Amino acid sequence: MSPPSLARLALLYVLATGILVAGLGLFFWVEIERTGAAILARERQAARVEVEEALTTLAQRVRSRADTIVQWEETLQQLYHPDYYALWRDDRVRDAGLLGGGLRVVALYDRQGRIFNGVPGPDPMPLELPVATGQAQFLNQGSQGTLLYFVPVHADPAGRVLLGHVGLKVDLADELRHQWMFRYADPARIRFTPAGGARLGLADLPRLAGYEPASDPQSQELQKLFQSALARLSLLVLGTLFLASGLLNYLLVRPLGKLSRRIEALGDPVAGVAIPPSQPLPVLELDKLRLSFDDYHARLSELNASLERSSRDFQDQAHRDALTGVHNRRAFEEDWGKARADRRLGRHVALMLFDCDHFKAINDTYGHAVGDAVIRAIAQGLQAALRAEDRLYRMGGDEFATVLADIDADIAEAVAERCQAHILGHDFRAYGIAEPVTISIGLAISPGSHLDLTELQKRADLAMYTAKRPGNRKIVFYNDEMGDLSALVGNKEINAVFRALHDHHLIEMHYQPVLRLPFMKAEYAEALVRIRDGDNLLNPGAILPIVSARGLDAEFDRAVLAAVARDMDGGLLPPGQGISINLSAAGIVDNQVIETLLSLLAHRGERKVVVEITETALITQMDTASANIRRLREAGALTALDDFGSGYSSLRYLASMPVDLVKFDISMIRMLLEGDPRQRLMLEEIAGLVITAGYELVAEGVENRELLDRVISLGFSHAQGYYFGVPAAAGN
Amino acid sequence: MPIWLFLLLATLVSAPRADLVESTWPGQAPARAEYRAGSPDKPAVLLLHGFLQTHEFPVIHRLTESLNSAGHTVLAPTLTLGIPLRKRSLACEALHTHSQADAIAELDAWLGWLKGKGVRSVVLLGHSFGSMQSLAYAATRPNPMVKGLIGISIIEGRLSGGRMPAKTLADDQGFVTQPFSFCKKYRAPQASLASYLAWSPERVLREVGRLRVPATFIMGGKDERLGPDWIGQLQRTRATVRIIAGADHFMDGEYEFDLLDMVLEELGDKRP
Repeated sequence: MSPPSLARLALLYVLATGILVAGLGLFFWVEIERTGAAILARERQAARVEVEEALTTLAQRVRSRADTIVQWEETLQQLYHPDYYALWRDDRVRDAGLLGGGLRVVALYDRQGRIFNGVPGPDPMPLELPVATGQAQFLNQGSQGTLLYFVPVHADPAGRVLLGHVGLKVDLADELRHQWMFRYADPARIRFTPAGGARLGLADLPRLAGYEPASDPQSQELQKLFQSALARLSLLVLGTLFLASGLLNYLLVRPLGKLSRRIEALGDPVAGVAIPPSQPLPVLELDKLRLSFDDYHARLSELNASLERSSRDFQDQAHRDALTGVHNRRAFEEDWGKARADRRLGRHVALMLFDCDHFKAINDTYGHAVGDAVIRAIAQGLQAALRAEDRLYRMGGDEFATVLADIDADIAEAVAERCQAHILGHDFRAYGIAEPVTISIGLAISPGSHLDLTELQKRADLAMYTAKRPGNRKIVFYNDEMGDLSALVGNKEINAVFRALHDHHLIEMHYQPVLRLPFMKAEYAEALVRIRDGDNLLNPGAILPIVSARGLDAEFDRAVLAAVARDMDGGLLPPGQGISINLSAAGIVDNQVIETLLSLLAHRGERKVVVEITETALITQMDTASANIRRLREAGALTALDDFGSGYSSLRYLASMPVDLVKFDISMIRMLLEGDPRQRLMLEEIAGLVITAGYELVAEGVENRELLDRVISLGFSHAQGYYFGVPAAAGN
Repeated sequence: MPIWLFLLLATLVSAPRADLVESTWPGQAPARAEYRAGSPDKPAVLLLHGFLQTHEFPVIHRLTESLNSAGHTVLAPTLTLGIPLRKRSLACEALHTHSQADAIAELDAWLGWLKGKGVRSVVLLGHSFGSMQSLAYAATRPNPMVKGLIGISIIEGRLSGGRMPAKTLADDQGFVTQPFSFCKKYRAPQASLASYLAWSPERVLREVGRLRVPATFIMGGKDERLGPDWIGQLQRTRATVRIIAGADHFMDGEYEFDLLDMVLEELGDKRP
């Protein structure tokens, strides 16, 4: 759930605040009402207390006034000499200030309770005491009633001599009004419940009084004022809130919204949607934020661009070969993936593999610096020969590749020849290399709609392998006939080779006889390796490329020697049977191989042992190879230069190497019959030269009589081939 | 040592027994008096207060104590003025139904009361209006017990504004309201007021001349309540007139001692 937007939050805030203000207004309105009611209740309570206090005070006051009159000596005077009672009652009492307030009448009664002179007076008093002295009588006179109160008058302080009685008539309303400033009770609405004529004690007055609280117009008006003010205040606050919300929207929400949209647009640009321009914001801090953000974004964009450049550089470097500057294997694989994805390679795609011939020998002989220079020169030459749109990849070591899109075989071959020409045209002597540096090129073409890199690579590898074969053309297109070479890359064959290295019993040696010419006498047999893979036997054509590709040459040589020794020890080879053993270029310079071979020579008996090495072995570490050959020769072995004529066939090697035999490659032997006159002439001259130099010649691939006669005529000392017999297991 | 100082010390050292006595006579309101018994060898003193006052009036009270301290039996009654056992001064505004005759009757009754106590010789001693009423008693009710009369600041019965206008003497109730004595509006039945007014200055001077007992009047030199040349007129009678220079009508302050000295001298306790 995404968080709410600022606009929504602001709206919620305004609404919540509005509701809060309205709620508070309503709350205070109700509180004012409640407070008003509470005040009214308290005023009612206060009124009750006030009325009770007032009536208690009234009762005390009536008693006090009665006592004052009783103790007034002129009252005694009247009781003794009532001659002027009326004057005293009507004038003297008033003049003496005893009347007033609610006390309206003072009357005197004789000891028998009869009013003096028998006259009730202008404000009539009862003619006789209506109640016992000390009591009061309530009359329904006046607005709130009138009270009659009577007290005795004695001549002596002990109260033994009764002189008469004093009667008071008190107007309760007037008395209350004069004696009490009512605050809470309404004096006009004080009522007494007794019926007229009821007798009661003064102390009963508070209990018998009914009252009403005084209306407090000021309080009510105040309450109305409070409520009116509250309503106005609430409206004012709501109005202010409304304005504030507008201001908030103008100053904060909209600017922040703009800023947010701009940030969002900058963060996730949509094609075709314009990024809102950066406009000044009305609030200083927000504008600073905007400027800071713009600055930050600018710097971030710059940083991003820098990172992208760095990334591109890094990616480019990651896809470049450090030595040559051309693309590397990773680039090759990625480009291949992209090409497959967009299907823009056209009808046919050609994968062209380049491999420097004998590069390892060059590298080992002249050092890595020269090797690197050779690699760089090859890369430059190939890059120059390729079309501008073609990328050159260094796949590793001395192997390069390129992919030619939308191409046919003729153009591909033209490109390949151009590449070969560029390499051949380069002067490698500048690096101190005397030998020519050549490259082999394997080509495989596949329909663009059916691209399988593995398959295409396999085919190109096969073509490359074929091109590497001695005597073959250096530019080879893959064809289906190369299928049997698939063991080069077949997992099954590779597994068989490795199993054989761990278990030498899987290696089976077949022997092909080599005959002494012209007597046709078998002099020795060339040991040819086979590997048992279930019911199948792998031939050297499938084995050696794997061994060579995996760098297992020396180890495999030792395994072969062990197999030969096993055949020898097992009596599978007759005691006088000579043996010719092939050593790889790596094996001739490997001490363990040499020591193993020396051990085998020590146990050879009378057996003739020939060690066959290729001229490639002579190129590689020639000094070590020469020293080892000498050790072998000293141990009794003969040495033969194998496959002469398939490689460089340098006469320098032939002149320098301590070999006894020179085995002409089958391709040269075949030229004796199939070659043109010039080729035949050259072969004859070379054979004669070699013989003259003191070497014995061995002809390979003698498959018929005609060819036998030919080699015999040329002075070859030995021959082998199907004409004499196919390779067979020992004992067969 | 002045005699008054001696009497003062005697008063403080040996306060005589003072009793409030009440007496009731038929037809009259009960009356109250302060009675202090003294030596039977000295004449008793019936000490009468001024107009509307009581025996507790200061000058009366001081004289009561001092004379009793000097050994005189002193009876200081409070005229009832129609009020039984009156304790307070009667207000000017009250209905003054009392009369000169009532006062004379009460004096007579109190003398009878003294007689009942075994007193045979009495000197009437009055202050202000009481002096005049004592004179009236002595003049109108000759009593063998009365041996002399001492009037202090004696004042005559007269209206403050002069004689009472005949036509305005009485209202509907039979009352007249006149400035009388120190009352600006003295309201009384006409007869009652007339009983006092009957003792006009002329009658006072005349009755003084007729007295059968010696009379002495002690007057204040600065008494402003007196009528014109009243002291002079008294001096021209047979009575002895003694003047305390500087004293006012009430003889208070430092003049009370002079007053006491003179009273004691007149009572024969000391020589002038």
